[in-house]
Amino acid sequence: MSTPMVEARGVHKSYAGVEVLKGVDLTVVRGEVTCLIGPSGSGKSTLLRCINHLEKHDAGELRVDGELVGYEARDGKLYERNDKQICVERSQIGMVFQRFNLFQHLTVLENITIGQVKVKGIEPEAARVKAHQLLARVGLEGKEEYYPSQISGGQQQRVAIARALAMEPKLMLFDEPTSALDPELVGEVLDVMKDLAESGMTMIVVTHEMNFAREAANTIYFLDGGVIEESGNPREVLSAPKSVRLQSFLSKVL
Amino acid sequence: MTENGDATVKVVPVRHVGQWIAAAFALLLVAMLIHTLFSKLGTGVYSCHIESGIRRCRQITEWRFSWNVVGRYFFTSEILHGLLITIELTALAMVIGVLLGVLVAVMRLSSNRLLSSLAWTYTWFFRGTPVLVQIVVWYNIAILYPSLSLGIPFTHLTVVHFMTKTVITAYVASIVALGLNEAAYMSEIARAGLISVEEGQTEAAIALGMTRRQTLLSIVLPQAMRVIIPPTGNELISMLKTTSLVSTIGVIDLLGAASNIYAANFLIMPLLIVASLWYIAVTTVLSVGQFYLERHFAKGALRSPPLTPIQRLRCDVAGILSKFRTPHPAREVVA
Repeated sequence: MSTPMVEARGVHKSYAGVEVLKGVDLTVVRGEVTCLIGPSGSGKSTLLRCINHLEKHDAGELRVDGELVGYEARDGKLYERNDKQICVERSQIGMVFQRFNLFQHLTVLENITIGQVKVKGIEPEAARVKAHQLLARVGLEGKEEYYPSQISGGQQQRVAIARALAMEPKLMLFDEPTSALDPELVGEVLDVMKDLAESGMTMIVVTHEMNFAREAANTIYFLDGGVIEESGNPREVLSAPKSVRLQSFLSKVL
Repeated sequence: MTENGDATVKVVPVRHVGQWIAAAFALLLVAMLIHTLFSKLGTGVYSCHIESGIRRCRQITEWRFSWNVVGRYFFTSEILHGLLITIELTALAMVIGVLLGVLVAVMRLSSNRLLSSLAWTYTWFFRGTPVLVQIVVWYNIAILYPSLSLGIPFTHLTVVHFMTKTVITAYVASIVALGLNEAAYMSEIARAGLISVEEGQTEAAIALGMTRRQTLLSIVLPQAMRVIIPPTGNELISMLKTTSLVSTIGVIDLLGAASNIYAANFLIMPLLIVASLWYIAVTTVLSVGQFYLERHFAKGALRSPPLTPIQRLRCDVAGILSKFRTPHPAREVVA
């Protein structure tokens, strides 16, 4: 394949003097599923949020689809991109949050059409047709007119996935998508994600679901203390961990 | 459950005797109050007539609350014109207050320190001085700034130039003073609404690629409205009455019109009642409007919207009727 979808080289990020990412290197190949695992506070979510520029990284190089995130390199200088350019970048990257973050005042259908209409300037009627298709894809036909508060957590998360897919992203980011769900609702969300992976979507998934990581991921990265401790093929990494930290982490979660 | 195997059981609710006594007592007080509203007072003037050689006299009585006088003045053109001025002032001042208030709130929440300090200072100044003082100062603003001109700052190039006195009339001064003062209070209400919306909503909107403006207008503000509307309704109703202060600079509003009339004929109480009844009438209309507005913006926040008074009445009537309908739907008791 040509350029990787995401390439990070020595990415650093600090919050108020606390270094959360201490030089992260990561490569995400097109059409593959990459899982980020690690203890809480290890910087997984921060890395994810840097990739769609919800957070600004402080140092290092971060490229999505060959383009620097948030900056433009010209004449040997880095120019910070303006808000409009960053909005266009973000609209091409779908994000699914731990707490769903569906727009509470909009119906399920409106949640899926608003981005298409407001950001991509698609006709409302065409946006609705697409929304219906996506709802069918995540198994939620008939829920169009419900408000988020009226459906279950698992259903809300599937709507959130449909909302992100409506923008036709080239990359999907999942930030612990099943951590806020009741155990019996986790499966329905993971099934949708597996379907998506099989369809060839490039995905980065921060997760604590080791079974999902083992089955669906092409590559797995273990973060600890702001650095990548170990990475590689999920079967090898999960069944024969080399580093002591990953061994102790896996003994707790498996 | 039942010994004889009967499938239905009569349920006897607990009787709250104390509540019944308190309610009866309260009802008595209300009845007494209503009676005084429609009672009559002696005037000290007697009307006499001779009936079969005997002089019979009766004291002339009048309504305690002079309802006949109230009725006579209720729809006079002076009062109606004053009411119109009051409504105009309230509406215009609130429009300025709400729009400017939201702007100040957004500035206050800006990451730019200069903008947020400016917003804080605005609120501090306009909340810190009495609104009556602000009204009088705006009316006399020509003393401080005799002329106004539009041009390039710090040069003598001007495009438009006019005398302050001709622009800032008493009416304009009232609107400006009430509007700017209201904006200070509204900005805090709007800020409370904006920060009540979960940060995740903003993040999700931004992650979709929405601009900050789109996020504010189509995601955050509509959800903030639920928190903003009740105190704004409060402000609106409060503003309706605050406008009566403008009579100090000669604007004849509802209360001004009433006091002009009683200054001439000394019918103080009846005319105050006229004005008060109009204030109450407008407040009632506004409260009903607020209810439906709140209901509109509750979309998605509640699993089912609150019942309208008409729906609630229908439920109550249906409930009472069902008590008279026999047999009462039997309660199934599982043995």
